[in-house]
Amino acid sequence: MRMSKSAANPGGQKGKRGLVGVRSHRLHRPPAELAGGSITASTPMSPEMVDRLFWRAGFGPTNADREQWTGNTLGAAVKWLLSTPAAYSGTPGTDQGAALDPTGNDSDLVLSWVDQMNRSINPFVERMTFFWHEHWANSRESVSPPQLLMTQTELFRKYADFATHPKANFADMAYAVTIDPSMLRYLTGELNVRGAPNENYAREFMELFTLGVTDAAGKPNYSQTDVEQLAKAFSGWQINDTNPNNVYSYFTQSRWYDGPKLVFGEFSNLTAAEAVKLVLTRRAHAPFIVNAIWNEFIVSLPDAATLKSLTHLYTSSGMQIRPLMQAILMHPLLFESLEEPNMVKSPVVYVVGALRAMGIQITDTTASDYLDGMGELPYFPPTVAGWEGGLSWLNTDTALARFNFISALLQDAKIKDLQGETAAEAYARAYVAVGSPWLAPATQAKIKRFAAAAQSSTPESRINRQVTLRALILAGPDAQVM
Amino acid sequence: MSDATQDNAAGEQSQRPIGEVHALRCADCARSDSMVEGVEPTSRVSIPPEALAGFPDGVPRPPAGRHSRRTFMLGSAVGMASIYSAAHLTWESVWDAAAARAATPTAETILVCIYLNGGNDGLNAIVPVSAAQYSGYMAQRQNIARVLGPSGGGKVGTTAMPGTGGTLAFANPLVSGIGNNGASVGLDTLYGDGSGGAGSDLAIFPAADYQPANLSHFESRDYWFAGALDDEMATGWLGRWLDRYGSQTNPLQAVSINTTLSKSILTDTAPVCAISDLSQTSFQISGTNVNRQVADLGAVKASAANTALTRSRATYSETARMSHEVSGLNGVSTAPGYPSNSDLSSNLQLAATLLSAGLGTRIVTIDWGSFDTHGDQISSQDPQFAVLSQALGAFKADLSARGIEQNVLTLVYSEFGRRIGSNDSLGTDHGAGGLVMVSGSSVLGGLAGEHPGVQGDENDNLVPITDFRTVYQALISEWLGGDPTAILPGGPFPGIQRYDGGTALLK
Repeated sequence: MRMSKSAANPGGQKGKRGLVGVRSHRLHRPPAELAGGSITASTPMSPEMVDRLFWRAGFGPTNADREQWTGNTLGAAVKWLLSTPAAYSGTPGTDQGAALDPTGNDSDLVLSWVDQMNRSINPFVERMTFFWHEHWANSRESVSPPQLLMTQTELFRKYADFATHPKANFADMAYAVTIDPSMLRYLTGELNVRGAPNENYAREFMELFTLGVTDAAGKPNYSQTDVEQLAKAFSGWQINDTNPNNVYSYFTQSRWYDGPKLVFGEFSNLTAAEAVKLVLTRRAHAPFIVNAIWNEFIVSLPDAATLKSLTHLYTSSGMQIRPLMQAILMHPLLFESLEEPNMVKSPVVYVVGALRAMGIQITDTTASDYLDGMGELPYFPPTVAGWEGGLSWLNTDTALARFNFISALLQDAKIKDLQGETAAEAYARAYVAVGSPWLAPATQAKIKRFAAAAQSSTPESRINRQVTLRALILAGPDAQVM
Repeated sequence: MSDATQDNAAGEQSQRPIGEVHALRCADCARSDSMVEGVEPTSRVSIPPEALAGFPDGVPRPPAGRHSRRTFMLGSAVGMASIYSAAHLTWESVWDAAAARAATPTAETILVCIYLNGGNDGLNAIVPVSAAQYSGYMAQRQNIARVLGPSGGGKVGTTAMPGTGGTLAFANPLVSGIGNNGASVGLDTLYGDGSGGAGSDLAIFPAADYQPANLSHFESRDYWFAGALDDEMATGWLGRWLDRYGSQTNPLQAVSINTTLSKSILTDTAPVCAISDLSQTSFQISGTNVNRQVADLGAVKASAANTALTRSRATYSETARMSHEVSGLNGVSTAPGYPSNSDLSSNLQLAATLLSAGLGTRIVTIDWGSFDTHGDQISSQDPQFAVLSQALGAFKADLSARGIEQNVLTLVYSEFGRRIGSNDSLGTDHGAGGLVMVSGSSVLGGLAGEHPGVQGDENDNLVPITDFRTVYQALISEWLGGDPTAILPGGPFPGIQRYDGGTALLK
């Protein structure tokens, strides 16, 4: 069962279905000064630019990040994000005092990844790894043992950690995922055998992962014949999961359809590896994947010239991801609407962002409980198309979940009473304590007015004022955009 | 996602709610079998906040093509109802039926059923304390026995049950007050003097069941849900009552507060539903409602092109509005006195909200707890007793504040009681003769059935004197209305025999 997706990208961060050929639906025109390209690698960053870059490429800046990068050039920051390896600070999170047990229960499976995001030194690596999970969405609902998903995440990380894998390219990734045990199980590739071809993966491979249904002109990118024939090329792969901690896929020649397949109008005795290569040579592929990545980070859609130059960059580099990422993270449109952020934070970004901003470690299932309530539980995408994302993240249920998540975090926070603290001081302290997030001037004024009206005669009332201020700042409507 | 996260998703604290205590249990007891399996809901419909406000004008929908203040806001559902119906019911038909009920309110009787999951040990709830019985009780239960009088020395005490001639006592966790359940209400305050007069509103059957005992959770539950000693019955006892006397169009007439349907309301034709949750929580910080402040922040205008910020602020405003509307139903805000951090509290509060909306609801079912106390019984049963007694008191007060208490009866039961002799794990094994209670100001409070004493049968099980169908029969004939023999196969069953000689369930 799959959800259909709308074509436009309001609010950003939507999935990959139907992203090509929607330029006429553009909602935003870039500001003239940005369209002119006034932002370059050598532009020194304002605090607002640091915020934008770290939200879009990570999980938001801490106060320290903001301080460190303000005044540095955009080029230096992007270089750091794209050349700092995966590494984690501090000690691993826990659940009620016990070490997380990701293979023992699903809450801990989710928490262990959230914990890695929370403690990642270079947040981009985890953010990009999670993007690949959204893209090649596999769900624990039908993937067992959980080790399969954990191994798949490690695979994704190779295509996000550009310090360790500077030349990581999508062609390698597409083949690796095609024979990845989790994917073979999730999209039933392990049942795909000569004589009984299973089209499941072949269809999604083209529709969701590499091409999209139609090209920019609305022409179909593949036919039903292509799906059926491609499925034959993908046959023969199985999973050995005898030892759940060492699961691997293997190829059995006798299960493979050994014979000519008619794909894209030509006969050839394709193997899985050759089939992946063939699909990625289609004209529709580069714009599809460029759009998918672009939309994760930028709200306005790329214009024709931008798309052309990015697809050229992608193909001419041998489908490398790092150069494409570099171009996207330094694109002036990433910094559009700085005065009023215009992308909805996904639940994962929101949750991890709040944890990082407040310096909170994972010690129980609060994060996974509320991620579930917010509609984005890692490892549990609703469909193979991932999460719908964008504006759909926000409804009355998820707004409460977002707010009450912060409320729950604050309930456990140790907050000092400062006797004699004025309303203005209380506001300033609360603002810094939650990472100094963006708030519209009118919003700031309202929260300050609330501070001024709040009770402050007793220690309890002052602490309550402080908690309320922090929640209104970090959990209100303005904190949901980046 | 895993069960572990489900209960907390709505925003409760992360501590484990009482009632999910995992004491030693037999392997197959972990399976929950109280809900129907293999029966899929026929549809799921969203619950508009307006529905919970009771459709004040009796009009659920604006005329087609027109927008009015009552237009249901897309995306402002307060919850979902899973509908189980022989006929396909659309969203419109469900709410039309409910609105029709709301428009012509009649004071109909309502039954709320609380099923204590796992087989509650009644013998450590209502303790035989007569000179003749207590020594036998002590001898059989040395390692978990209740002591006479106040708790102390690591032992849990008892409080005499009035109107039982000194033969029975409440285990103290069921009783109000410091050192007991810690609250100002409990079974003792509901029970009163046990005379059935004013303020004596809780009827207690210390050991109701059927004979011979079938010690399987699953078969025994099936009997209780079916109201028949037949685990192949396709319908529940309340389901059959609904088929015969209920509505054929209003699924809200019977609600399981759960993700799926209780077997007790499984019907042949009448529509029923399951509602697991209502987002009636407000924006809260440390227990303080900040809806007003949040709505204020949501009212800030964003630039028209910024769809993300516009959406965020509008959603926050709408959520605050909806939450305010729901919490203000019938002028009653979140009722005080419920035990915190308990699924039983949230389920009873949800029941009270639904019932006060006047949507024609006659039956509510709630499954709660973990009473399969094969080991460490004291540490798992007693905290649940404290919650149960406090929650029953709070529920009654909540219903009174909403002005509907006189229409509601609450039944508490479990699939069986437990073995008289305790085991070496400080627990008890599957037995017979479970505690049944009926609460409500219409109830003739007091001891409504004899205690069988601790001289068990050859298997060391209590010999229940009250058949569970005697209670069902009284609930139908005296409260819900209708012919019990048409509902309960094998009837009529013996009538109620109170300790004081009375034969009625109600005042």
